[in-house]
Amino acid sequence: MVISPVHYIALPLLAAFLIPLFAKINKELVRIIPGLVLAYLSAVSIVLMQKVVNTGQPVIETLAGWQAPWGINLVFSAFTGFLATLMTFMALLIWIYSYRFKKIDSEPAMKYYILFMMLVTGSTGIVLTGDIFNMFVFMEITAIAAYSLTAFYRDRDGAEAGFKYLLIGSFASAFVLLAILLLYTQVGTLNMAQIAERMHTVPTGMKITILVLFVTGLGIEAEMFPLNGWAPDAYSQSPGPVGATFAALVVKAGVYSLIRVIFTLFDIHGAFDFLVIMGIITLVISEFAAMKQTNLKRMLAYSSIGQMGFVLIAFGIGTKEAVFGALFLMFNHAVIKGLLFMSGSYLVYNTPSKDIKDMAGIGRKFPFMTFFFALGAFAIVGLPPFAGFWSKLYILLAAADEAMLGLVAIILMVSIVEIVYYFRVVAKLYWGKPTDNEVYHKPTFGGYISMTILAGVILLVGFYPDVITGFIDRAADTLLDKGEYISNVLPKVQELVNM
Amino acid sequence: MNNIVLIILILLGGGILSYILNKVTPLFAGLTAFAATAVAAVLFFTGLSANDSFEFTLGGMQLSWGINAYSWIFGAMVMAFAFLALLYSMSYMKGKDRLGYFYLNYSLSVMAMMGIIFSRDFISLFIFWEIMTWSSFLIVVYQGLSEGRVGIKYMIFSAIGGYAMLLSIVFMKAEMGSVLISDLIANFGSFSSGNQTMVGILLLITFGVKAAVMPLHVWAPRAYADSPMSYTSVFSGLLSKMGIFGMGIMLVSVFTQSKGFDAVNMYLISSVLAWMGAITGVMATFYAIIQTDAKRLLAYSSIGQLGYIVMGLAIGTKLSVMAALFLAVVHTIFKGTLFLVVGAVERQAGTTDMTKLTALIRRMPLTFVAALMSIIALAGIPPLAGFVGKWMLYESMIVSDHYFLVIMAFLSSTAAFLYSYRFLFGIFLGQEEPETKDVKEAPALMVIPMMLLAGLLFFLGAFPGYLFEPIANGMEYLGMGHIGWNATVLSNGWGDHLDTLAVVNSIVIIFVVVFIFLGLKNRKKTRYVTTKDVHTSGEIPTENENLTYAVDFYKPFERAIDPVMKRKMDFYYNRLGEGLESFFNFLRRIYTGNGQTYAIYVIIFLVILIIFSKQIFI
Amino acid sequence: MDPVLYNKIVSIGIYGSAIGLILIGLYAVLVKKHLTKIVIGLSIIDSGIHLLFIAVGFIKGGTAPIFSPKGIELVNQGTAMVDPVPQALVLTAIVIGFGVTAVALSLVIRLYRHQHTAKIDHIKSLKW
Repeated sequence: MVISPVHYIALPLLAAFLIPLFAKINKELVRIIPGLVLAYLSAVSIVLMQKVVNTGQPVIETLAGWQAPWGINLVFSAFTGFLATLMTFMALLIWIYSYRFKKIDSEPAMKYYILFMMLVTGSTGIVLTGDIFNMFVFMEITAIAAYSLTAFYRDRDGAEAGFKYLLIGSFASAFVLLAILLLYTQVGTLNMAQIAERMHTVPTGMKITILVLFVTGLGIEAEMFPLNGWAPDAYSQSPGPVGATFAALVVKAGVYSLIRVIFTLFDIHGAFDFLVIMGIITLVISEFAAMKQTNLKRMLAYSSIGQMGFVLIAFGIGTKEAVFGALFLMFNHAVIKGLLFMSGSYLVYNTPSKDIKDMAGIGRKFPFMTFFFALGAFAIVGLPPFAGFWSKLYILLAAADEAMLGLVAIILMVSIVEIVYYFRVVAKLYWGKPTDNEVYHKPTFGGYISMTILAGVILLVGFYPDVITGFIDRAADTLLDKGEYISNVLPKVQELVNM
Repeated sequence: MNNIVLIILILLGGGILSYILNKVTPLFAGLTAFAATAVAAVLFFTGLSANDSFEFTLGGMQLSWGINAYSWIFGAMVMAFAFLALLYSMSYMKGKDRLGYFYLNYSLSVMAMMGIIFSRDFISLFIFWEIMTWSSFLIVVYQGLSEGRVGIKYMIFSAIGGYAMLLSIVFMKAEMGSVLISDLIANFGSFSSGNQTMVGILLLITFGVKAAVMPLHVWAPRAYADSPMSYTSVFSGLLSKMGIFGMGIMLVSVFTQSKGFDAVNMYLISSVLAWMGAITGVMATFYAIIQTDAKRLLAYSSIGQLGYIVMGLAIGTKLSVMAALFLAVVHTIFKGTLFLVVGAVERQAGTTDMTKLTALIRRMPLTFVAALMSIIALAGIPPLAGFVGKWMLYESMIVSDHYFLVIMAFLSSTAAFLYSYRFLFGIFLGQEEPETKDVKEAPALMVIPMMLLAGLLFFLGAFPGYLFEPIANGMEYLGMGHIGWNATVLSNGWGDHLDTLAVVNSIVIIFVVVFIFLGLKNRKKTRYVTTKDVHTSGEIPTENENLTYAVDFYKPFERAIDPVMKRKMDFYYNRLGEGLESFFNFLRRIYTGNGQTYAIYVIIFLVILIIFSKQIFI
Repeated sequence: MDPVLYNKIVSIGIYGSAIGLILIGLYAVLVKKHLTKIVIGLSIIDSGIHLLFIAVGFIKGGTAPIFSPKGIELVNQGTAMVDPVPQALVLTAIVIGFGVTAVALSLVIRLYRHQHTAKIDHIKSLKW
């Protein structure tokens, strides 16, 4: 079996549909199979990243022998590979965390793992594919899995959040489908590299309409304002590990697709400024809204939306340093938000009323959870010596290089707001008398392991960011170089045409 | 290995180790932190030379650490005082819980301060500055008073300061491409006019927040009061000096590089700063006078003294800067001692409310001596070190024609007498009460640092030259030129001399002579009386008579200055905070919770984009 | 009837009805309060888009895109084949739409079980 990017799609999907069969053999297999699959995929990621780094060429896999541009191809380049590796590792850690997560156990574990595997398939598929309709299909797979996972608990709030997510998500798919339709009528192909090649032949009016449809549809997935109404509900009502999954996988795939469309497919310069402005609005409104939240997970959701706004700003600035910072921020956000959701969900689990006010003093009963949460809070705000500091620094320097000093001031002011609401929670967790309630759910061993690994990554990258910067540098280069993408994917088109 | 890196690593490792060892026994936690600081101090004093430096690249940024004559002063202060404070803290914190957390953050603060001192580039400075901020925040919320609101206020202001520094780093990078401090000094003159002002003001805000200059001081009183006293001594004594450290570099080295019109601009900023320092001195002193809690009194007093120091730095002549730095060192010593004293009193007597404490002089004599020495130094009375600093400061202001500032300085100095006396009287003097009968003297580990520091005050008062030497070297490094000094003689610009040794000698001789004389003369006639014997001379006090002096101590004074004190800065900040919060509350109503509303938002967004697509995208 | 006019009317009819379907579906989603009607509206939007897809791929007088003997004969005579790609896309999209509708309806059922009402006005407890 040759190591190939197709395993990212085939194996989790296969596992997802075989899990019910395995459940008949042995109940425990249901939990173990996803772990095996994810561990194997992580190993595959490492091998493929090595290959990409060593040869400098992306690993391209053509499916079913149909050459590009007629067939669908998967592209594992420095950029997409970086994101795919990040997603796979985060999925593995989330699997470790949710291995015996109590609340999932009381619900059918089988359904959880099926949906989880489908979500992994969908997210990595979005990132790796080189065909735009294929991206749409994977978006839908991810979406269906996400809708169901949001509504996983059988309580009312979950169903409500799931329904709202579904409503808005359907709009997203409708708009993206419309956009693909119009695009197809103009360029006659569905292969992303060929679309990029032929984009200059499309009349401007049509181009802009298609771009608007894409931005609206993909912006819903990327949590742009005002399209992110579904996000706070979805993050807060889903189970803890699912919230982490959303933050680490789904939204990354959403932002990826938006970026791919704007950077590679289209060549409209106004789109970059548009990204910056929408990013600013998203960042400001969501951070301000987060200040007054009383539900911990909802607060984390707004913070997540804000970080995505920050990422959009950084991508919108568009220079190499800014894209570098944006990718670093995406990495940091996945890791740190994963840790925050993981520890936060145990904190919420042990508080009957789910209100932040009642979490006072929980630090005495759960020192580790509080420590992890505090570590995550410090890191995401951007305090040295933790990982979040470097990404913020790079983005601010990139903004200053483009003389966008007002933007720097806005970002710093919003950072102060972030500090206030995160540190309010941290202070409350550490001080005060713990309320005397009988619920006492200790985290599972798997939970400890995954959280420790994430905390370790945060500290390592914080103290020595050079571990990651090499990969991110290459990824940024690959993203910005449109010509390289086209020539890598479509090398032999001329020969095939001449045949 | 490079000693600089070793010091930082030892302090960091000591903190982590004490957190871990706390699980074994709490005693180890304090001991480890103390030992780490001791080792680091020894390394600092013996193993460093001016050529030590450590450069490395991290994440694409060029970081550089080193030591110079100016930063050596502050480094020595940090190491020596932290050493003594940790010694004190080992016995002060006995019996409290979560000591590992406390000592970890304590060591992190000390490490961060040493990091700031070693930094030669602004990125390292920022990194260590933020570490110092959050580790001190964690200690402010350690005792869990006032629901963390005090800590949040502290964090907000420190964050504003930190991000001001980040903003100025961004400016610097855009202008010069480098973030070395030496490069800033070299190139500041060539910055554009707007950038000079921006960078200058931003960095002054950063350092001003830590140095508690008005109006950025509102976090200080309660933050100082809410932390454990063994940390507050470091908090008020050392962390605030980091602000002074930065301001020294800014005002003395950087601003003087401006030329022409910009130089006038910078001079204007320095003058405004001097005035703010003076106002801080006066207002904070007034606030200190009306406090009833010893901790708050000392906190406001700290702010006032720091206002002096800032004023001295901002005036900028050789003598004033020397005075400011001298006062900075001396302030660390005496304010640190005072906080240690209050901690000892709190531990032994259980409260620091001055209306409840009385007559501890008999119970805690050694503590009283330390407090007395520190108060005398604070008030600026010879023969102690505070006098030397104050004298130099006044002289420098008179020489440089800042007459109105002199008036304000005198005003606050005189007012400082009022709260100094109240502090002494409220805690140590006055009538004995049965509540304080059983108070015992503080344990040895707490008394020794206090006495050592008090002795240091006396020593520096007699031989200020020992402090002059490093300060003069530091100032020379900053670019102020050579300064003449002498071991025991102070001179001002007019050629007058003040021979401190002579002053001290005369005072000591007079003291000894009078003591012996009085002792011998009245040996047979002295007898011991309690303070209750002659209290009301047999009359029955009426309802509205105040029976103890400690309550409403300065009521007439309060009435006199009431119009000035009507509005505190705190009030405005709170109003601002509340206004912002209600705005945020309004904003979050966008997410109405109705799924259809969200869908309508999407459609509206789409429609707007399509209508205005030409303007947006082209 | 004039063939050009006839073709124009047919084109407008097809495109118009596709867009009309989309708008009707949009109306249902945005204005109607009953949950099931909203789900039906989503389905109608999907149908409209599918119709639009197929209409776009149609070539006048074209034949089915299958390599049967009759088809090859027609192609050699110059008749164009209708573009097969949109038809494949639509098939996929129909299946996806079906899946999403199924999930949506199951959520509606669960909401009804908890709330005993199916009005979207009443399911907004997660707000702000």
